[in-house]
Amino acid sequence: MRKFSILNAPKHVLLWIYALVSLSPLVIMVMNSFRTTQQMATDPLGLPESLNFGSYQKAWITASFETYFLNSMFVTITSVFIGTVVSLMAAYVFARSKRRVFAVLEGLFLSGLLLPVFLAILPIFYLFDALGLISNLWGLIAVYSALSIPFSSFILAAFFRQLPIDLEEAARIDGAGYFRTFFFILLPLVRPAIATVVVFRFVPIWNDFFYPLMLMRDRAAYTLPVGLTRFFGEYQTDWATLFAGLTITTIPLIILFIVASKQLVSGLTAGMSK
Amino acid sequence: MKTESKPRQHGKMPILIGVAFVIPALMLFSVFILYPLTTALGYSFFSWKGTLRGDFTGFANYVTVFTKAPFDEALPNAFFNNLLLFAGAMVFQNSIGLALAVVLHKIGRVKRLFQTLFTLPYLVSPLVVGYLWSLMLSPLFGPVNATLKQIGLGDFAHPWLGDPTTAIWAIVFITAWQWIGFPMLLYGAALGGIPEEISEAAEIDGASGQKKFRLITFPLLLPALGTVSILTFIGAMESFPIPYAVGGSTGSPAGATDVMALLFYRTAFESGDVGSIGTSSALAMLLFLFIFGVAVVLRTSLAKAERKLYD
Amino acid sequence: MRKRISALGLIGVAALVLAGCAPAADDAAEEATTSASATADAVDPVTLTMWSWRTEDVEKYNTIFDVYEAANPGVTVEFEAFLNTEYNQLLATGLEGSDGPDLAMVRAYGGVQALIEAGQLLPVDGLVDTSSVEQSLLVAATGRTDGNLYGVPFATQTLQMFYNKGIFDELGLSEPTTWGEFIALNEAIDAGGYTPMALGAKDSWMLPIFHEIVGAARYGGPEFRDELLAGTSDFTDADYIASIQIVNDMTEYMVDDVIGVAYADSQIQFTAGTAAQFPGGSFELGNFTSQAPDMELGVYLVPTPPNSVSEKPLAAGWADGSFAINAKGENQEAALNLLNWLASEEFGQLFVDEVKQFSAITGLTYSDPVMKEMNELFASGPTAYINLVDMRYGDPSGSTLIGEGIQSMFLGDMNASGVSTKLQDGIATWFTPGA
Repeated sequence: MRKFSILNAPKHVLLWIYALVSLSPLVIMVMNSFRTTQQMATDPLGLPESLNFGSYQKAWITASFETYFLNSMFVTITSVFIGTVVSLMAAYVFARSKRRVFAVLEGLFLSGLLLPVFLAILPIFYLFDALGLISNLWGLIAVYSALSIPFSSFILAAFFRQLPIDLEEAARIDGAGYFRTFFFILLPLVRPAIATVVVFRFVPIWNDFFYPLMLMRDRAAYTLPVGLTRFFGEYQTDWATLFAGLTITTIPLIILFIVASKQLVSGLTAGMSK
Repeated sequence: MKTESKPRQHGKMPILIGVAFVIPALMLFSVFILYPLTTALGYSFFSWKGTLRGDFTGFANYVTVFTKAPFDEALPNAFFNNLLLFAGAMVFQNSIGLALAVVLHKIGRVKRLFQTLFTLPYLVSPLVVGYLWSLMLSPLFGPVNATLKQIGLGDFAHPWLGDPTTAIWAIVFITAWQWIGFPMLLYGAALGGIPEEISEAAEIDGASGQKKFRLITFPLLLPALGTVSILTFIGAMESFPIPYAVGGSTGSPAGATDVMALLFYRTAFESGDVGSIGTSSALAMLLFLFIFGVAVVLRTSLAKAERKLYD
Repeated sequence: MRKRISALGLIGVAALVLAGCAPAADDAAEEATTSASATADAVDPVTLTMWSWRTEDVEKYNTIFDVYEAANPGVTVEFEAFLNTEYNQLLATGLEGSDGPDLAMVRAYGGVQALIEAGQLLPVDGLVDTSSVEQSLLVAATGRTDGNLYGVPFATQTLQMFYNKGIFDELGLSEPTTWGEFIALNEAIDAGGYTPMALGAKDSWMLPIFHEIVGAARYGGPEFRDELLAGTSDFTDADYIASIQIVNDMTEYMVDDVIGVAYADSQIQFTAGTAAQFPGGSFELGNFTSQAPDMELGVYLVPTPPNSVSEKPLAAGWADGSFAINAKGENQEAALNLLNWLASEEFGQLFVDEVKQFSAITGLTYSDPVMKEMNELFASGPTAYINLVDMRYGDPSGSTLIGEGIQSMFLGDMNASGVSTKLQDGIATWFTPGA
């Protein structure tokens, strides 16, 4: 039972003000996608004169965005899936086992967050070259899945630890094995954590331009962000096409987030309290 | 049901099962993270000519990084800026994120809408975050200064990104803008994990909102707080896309927005020195050791604090 | 949730299979077209790949290489451009790997030394006819330690003051010939309601450029450079300090808080017509003509300030990149043929006409009136952009030091003398005169 009082009003006002701050750069991005670079050169923040879809056409067709879009989908979805699955399994052990070796392993995984991306590109490049993974999307998937492990296992282990032990012990008494307990009992309970991890891995992988730029030399293997980098010139940037490309790149993320946030909310109200 | 007093772990899991669950992650991690990480850090012990490795030089690169120009000034300056970013993130990003999570927890149907709106910045590509905010904060074209002038606060209008005192705070703000969804969602998930009965019992007992928060909510949020703090620390020490996009690779103006990752980047990629792989990996190693050390300390002290609370 | 993920995963896989069935069809417009008479001669067909950071010039180079392909049946040149900021790393790893390019654009002067010392580029002394190339620019592609030539410079840039003829006409102004006229000009523009000069001081790399434009004559351009390289003078020379002071004095003719203005903002100031002048490099021409096609552009060299060492106004210039050959490439003979063509007048003229930048090749004609004028101005008073040409062979680089120093000076934290000391102390850690 919630009391709707006048005290709620300032809260809402502040929330909406911050929402405006949150959104303004995005709005600028979308508005500018409907203008030409010339218009932006004279008036950087003006309103679009008309809904000019020319830049979208240019990005999608001339700049092969269709190919890049499909590549991005494939790489990101697969990487997030693999990364989350292996992290879930490892997190379960970290949370539930007292053995020293797993505590050390958990710390080791966490240290993976400290991988200096720009420096490690050299050994990764040579590794890929040796394995023939240059310009192979599976190479990207392998790297991204591995990169997801530190963050995902850390968060998921924390959430597993929060779960009361009784459920598992009850299941054990009923004769369920570790895997059954893990899959059918614990997994549904950490759904909000899984949703969080999925969102916070999907977005950076989808938006990453560095690994594909360095490791995918064949244009057919480009992902969307790499496609975007081609609009940046040394001294001149094709802003109009860039913003159109950016809007195309951002829409799937918005959809994903809206879907995932539903899971977050529903997961919170169900299951946790017994 | 006394859930709090029972231990939350049991060491009874057979080692084989544990290993079986961990092996897939371990394999991926070893090949694609551990191997490159150790190799890259190992570069710091050699001399280099471009991508050609030279002789083993021991700690020579480390000595250079601590004593030679430009590192002797740039390194402490950048390091200090990273610490500032961490402090700023804890104060603005995490506390506001917590406040938002608390406010949204009870707000009803608009919760999802606001969660989405506040997390949307995270979705913006790092390629253009810097450009968009440079535009927003530009003293010539930016709406921020224009709005301030319009509502009569013209005195506050400032070259935000050009003034060394405000530039670093601009980065704190932009980082918070982009990342506030993370603590907000995590705390939100943790808040949802607090059983309703405890909450309502406290209310029946007459606990005020503030008291309830201090004695019940906050302690139960401690694990989430710990997680968020460690990740914020790592993120602040490694901060790169936003400082790079806003201040360029030299941390304009006059090094005020220079951070360790920028120092590393320009040493590795923009330096005229042919031995730069050696020096830049020494920088990376130092950063790694520092973050690793602090993260370990943070985790052990947080674990101790948790245990104390639950006894 | 996981069902949804698996379903999406299946769709993703299916999509990739479909995508794989449509190879370079979409990319046909961007890749080089195949040569016209493929069946003519019995030459083994060769595809040469060339890498570059000039994403904005891809189509132009394709047009240029069409000419080469028509004259050399069987040879196809594929020109690929990558993000400028990551190009160095991309190239270094690409040249190491097994699938690297046959040729590549490489950075000039200090920027190419790492590749040379790692043995990744083919030395081309004696293998390329460089007689048409401006000889003083060959140092841009030369190894500093071994003195060998590793490539052919392809572009040069010059520095000068751009101005909006429309605004000048409106205010009844003309190009200044003395310093007094220059100051009066700026005052008049200011009084006329326009910003006299647009400068992006937030982006420190623009500051040494500005310094050369207004100060090169004051410190004595070529004479100073000779002394600097020989070791008889250094950056703490009184005339050099004075040239830095001029930079500070000029902020009077820029917007307030110029330290907060980004490079992109300053370009907009000029193209939108709020600033009358833009001190910049010849590389700005492409941007200005495409963003403000209706603006009439003029250029001039800033007149000599009082007490100048040089008697005439100077235009600083430098080579902006070279073509080089991958030492590990498989098609080196064909690559060398192409490189020789890239050192020829034919290429130079095509380059000037299509890419609209200055070429390193001598004896070319410039049809664009602004380019013609910039070329003539440069010829009237050439000097080198010292902090780029000579001071990037080590870390810290001269241009970074002076850029940061000038920023501090604008903020009031350092005076001109402090800036020059900062510059001198920094480069002294690796620079040895007479080397």
